Amino acid sequence: MELKRLELNNHRNYAHLDLEPGPGVNVFVGANGQGKTNLLEAVAMLALSSSPRARRDQELLGPVTPAARIHAEVESAGRGLEVTITLQGEGERVRRVIEVDGVRRRGFDLPGHFRVTLFWPDDLGLVKAGPEQRRRFLNQMLVQVEPGYARNLAALRRVLEQRNSLLKRIAAGEEAPGVLEAWNAELVAYGSDIAGARARAVEELRPYAAESHAEIAAGERLEIAYIGPPENFGDAVEKSLGDDLRRGSTTIGPHHDDLLIRLDGRDARSYASQGQQRTAVVSLKLAEAALVTRRAGERPVLLLDDVLSELDAERRAALLRRVAGEGQVIITSAEMGPFPADLITGARVWSVNSGRIEACG
Amino acid sequence: MPQLPEPLERLISELSRLPGVGPKTAQRLAFHLLRADRQRAESLARAIVDMKLRIGFCERCYNIAEGSLCAICSSARRDTTLLCVVETPLDVLAVERTSEFAGLYFVLNGVISPIDGVGPDQLHVPQLLDRVRGDGVVEVIVATDADIEGEATAVYLQRALAPLGVEVTRPAHGLPVGGDLEYADELTVARAIVGRRSF
Repeated sequence: MELKRLELNNHRNYAHLDLEPGPGVNVFVGANGQGKTNLLEAVAMLALSSSPRARRDQELLGPVTPAARIHAEVESAGRGLEVTITLQGEGERVRRVIEVDGVRRRGFDLPGHFRVTLFWPDDLGLVKAGPEQRRRFLNQMLVQVEPGYARNLAALRRVLEQRNSLLKRIAAGEEAPGVLEAWNAELVAYGSDIAGARARAVEELRPYAAESHAEIAAGERLEIAYIGPPENFGDAVEKSLGDDLRRGSTTIGPHHDDLLIRLDGRDARSYASQGQQRTAVVSLKLAEAALVTRRAGERPVLLLDDVLSELDAERRAALLRRVAGEGQVIITSAEMGPFPADLITGARVWSVNSGRIEACG
Repeated sequence: MPQLPEPLERLISELSRLPGVGPKTAQRLAFHLLRADRQRAESLARAIVDMKLRIGFCERCYNIAEGSLCAICSSARRDTTLLCVVETPLDVLAVERTSEFAGLYFVLNGVISPIDGVGPDQLHVPQLLDRVRGDGVVEVIVATDADIEGEATAVYLQRALAPLGVEVTRPAHGLPVGGDLEYADELTVARAIVGRRSF
């Protein structure tokens, strides 16, 4: 997997960018606010179709015109692909048009063409954060390797909106409870697919994550487990009717899933020190890259946004040892300090300055 | 903004109520009609009024009809044991174009969508159940769209119709005819494989 060329027009603070990164390690250095994260965000969108951080597409539009464009030439499974994402502002709304080799695709059909593993400062809080962020971790990986997963997620979101709206209508006496069965069936159908994919993925991540963690943390045992919907999902949904009606929302389903993280047998969420948490996150991210590599048959492009400076020398070295030398890596950093000399020797270094990128040396 | 003459203003506001027509398009259309021959404008106005006067909905199936029954319901050559349930009259047209279906239709007039406040009673579901109870129907094909709301509506109808002793079916998913397997989306291919048949 390789990003051969990236063109940005009016994306965030990039008026125009035309970049040809190298096949190995690429380091983008610049002060804060110059556009390092914006660059990584654009690359991540090529893999995920939507921005992993913007709450509204509106934020992505630069100052020049109400339209933005991300265009990339990538190499995937030995063949060249062109991916284009165009955002067109229309009043309050933003229309997103996605094309792969000139053919229109829907948002949920883009992931899987170009794959990345994104690791950014937000992820450092993965262990202590709410379950939503851990579900996002699983989702971001799964949309890229599990056919139909992105579509199922979108469908589940819609089913929940409809079902929750129906619950409120039933509670208010505006609708008979009989209609609920149809939505329960949809919830269980899409929910089971999603839960199944997550359970398989966590099983697959487990040994990879444990191995990296033990290596970085002198034998400390990292265990992960998937906490999904109850065994008998369908019955549980029916039994939850009373609760659901009282709350006006769906209490059972994969939208409440979590990933349990244990260190030496204890729940990492309450016991782990900051250092231990970070080691666990690095291990999970390495496991993610390993899973994607195994499923896709080639390494994803690794995107490391300013996380190296957040890690101590030992964890940094462990991370870099695993990622450098194979496949394409895009790293951003505020300074050259955290990089070992041998990594830099083979790397391409670029400077980022108010939406302009130039090759250094 | 300078005020436009009242009749023009009124036309723009009427046009902009049409689906897919925004204020800009409405303005353009209105000015186009302003420049057009008087005959053209009158013919358009007459077409709209005639359509409203002469076309209504079929009493049996809620398809569009000139008179109390639509052309399909009043035909003697249709198989009355087969009933195809669709969302809109446009779907009737889509199935009719295939010439593959000789049964009768029933138009629901939408799909179940709680967000929009639409439940079975806002659709023609009670009428559908009455129809199936009384009319010698043997098989009901539920041909609602394959999206979330269409599927939920199909599940609902399946459960509501099953106790009435009719066979309830759903159109098959498959590969687009004449299409390249390579270019079909994954879910379509997956469903086509699951629903494969022997030669």
